[in-house]
Amino acid sequence: MKTTIGSALVGLVWLASLPAQAQQQVEISLELPVIETAQYYRPYVAVWIEDEAQQPVRLIALWRKEPDWLKDIRRFWRKIGRSDTELVDARTGATRTPGRYQLSWDGLDDSGQPVPAGQYTVLVEASREQGGRSLQRQTIQWGGNAQQYTQDAMPELGELKITLN
Amino acid sequence: MKKLMFSALLALCSASVCAHTLWVLPSHFVLSAEDSWISVDVSAANMTFVADRGVNPDNLAIVFPDGERHDFAQSYHGKRKSQADHQLTMNGTYRVELAGPARYFTFFQEDGQRRRIMANKKERLAQLPDDATDVVTTRSRGRALSFISVNAPNQTALALSNEGLELKLLTHPADVVATEPVRWQFVLDGEPVADVRVELSREGELYRDDAGRELLSSDGNGYLSFTPQVPGRYVLEASLQQDSQDPLADRIRESLTLTFEAALP
Repeated sequence: MKTTIGSALVGLVWLASLPAQAQQQVEISLELPVIETAQYYRPYVAVWIEDEAQQPVRLIALWRKEPDWLKDIRRFWRKIGRSDTELVDARTGATRTPGRYQLSWDGLDDSGQPVPAGQYTVLVEASREQGGRSLQRQTIQWGGNAQQYTQDAMPELGELKITLN
Repeated sequence: MKKLMFSALLALCSASVCAHTLWVLPSHFVLSAEDSWISVDVSAANMTFVADRGVNPDNLAIVFPDGERHDFAQSYHGKRKSQADHQLTMNGTYRVELAGPARYFTFFQEDGQRRRIMANKKERLAQLPDDATDVVTTRSRGRALSFISVNAPNQTALALSNEGLELKLLTHPADVVATEPVRWQFVLDGEPVADVRVELSREGELYRDDAGRELLSSDGNGYLSFTPQVPGRYVLEASLQQDSQDPLADRIRESLTLTFEAALP
């Protein structure tokens, strides 16, 4: 009995010592719209987080094929792609068909360290061969209250839904 | 002969006396695949990127990210524009440069007419007619530049020669983004130079009423600051004329054009 109480106490202390952000999570729901066109190729898509100084802190997803067209995800390429080949390789996934996709951010940076509370921006950029490029951005307050956001659909991206819980 | 014509064009056209602007225009400013080829157009024209006169590409060179200078692998001298191709075999920033040596011109009046000979102050003594008046020797030099980055940009090819008018690219050309400020610095023989006159133009002039050219100049410390408002390809044309420190010239006339892109934000 004593041991149980002891363990429970230890557990409580452990819980209390965790930073508030530990349970916080950003749910990112993005959509690749169906596009009627003569030649449809799946878009190249990058999803990442930037801090207040517009510096990248975490690459969440990268859906792409050949390196030749990676530069066409313009902002992603300038902010991350051109200078961090290892990260690009590590996060690379296959291109996706039209549909809605769920991603999340756990508040860790690319080296696995928790980021300090503050203002961050979720960026979703899509670039399609023989098509256009769209960039959605949503500023969030990491460490702040739970909140939901939506960003209007753009030609290459459907409505973006962000949930900070 | 062609080379001479080219040099004369380069030397003269960059100055205000000639309306044509000499530019180099790479097919890409940013690349993400190793061993990509680049094609560069060269033309002298009034309208930005509307080719008018092909220029001899023999003086075109490409400086690799390690600082090595290479001739282009192949080139073609066209009527309206010339083109040169090269394979970019390493990561980093490349400089495309069309530049000839400085040339000396001596202008004078004879029988009420303005004349010109290709001679510096030493050479002119033997060549000038006895009745020449208003004799002025000008050293003229022009450069046309552009930068291309494959994967991560670097600084080596941005290094200055400290000869003539050059631009210190404090904002790396690969980091020029529409709506974000750019800060560069003009130097003459390596020293900051004030009051360099700059005309900034961008592509598409043929299809809009207002060419939208911006007239700028370097400040007291040589700095040039501007914010490109629209993404796209730009030409910066800079010129400077002043009295010369060169014992072989009375005046210098320096010009430089830089082709760059302002990326999408």
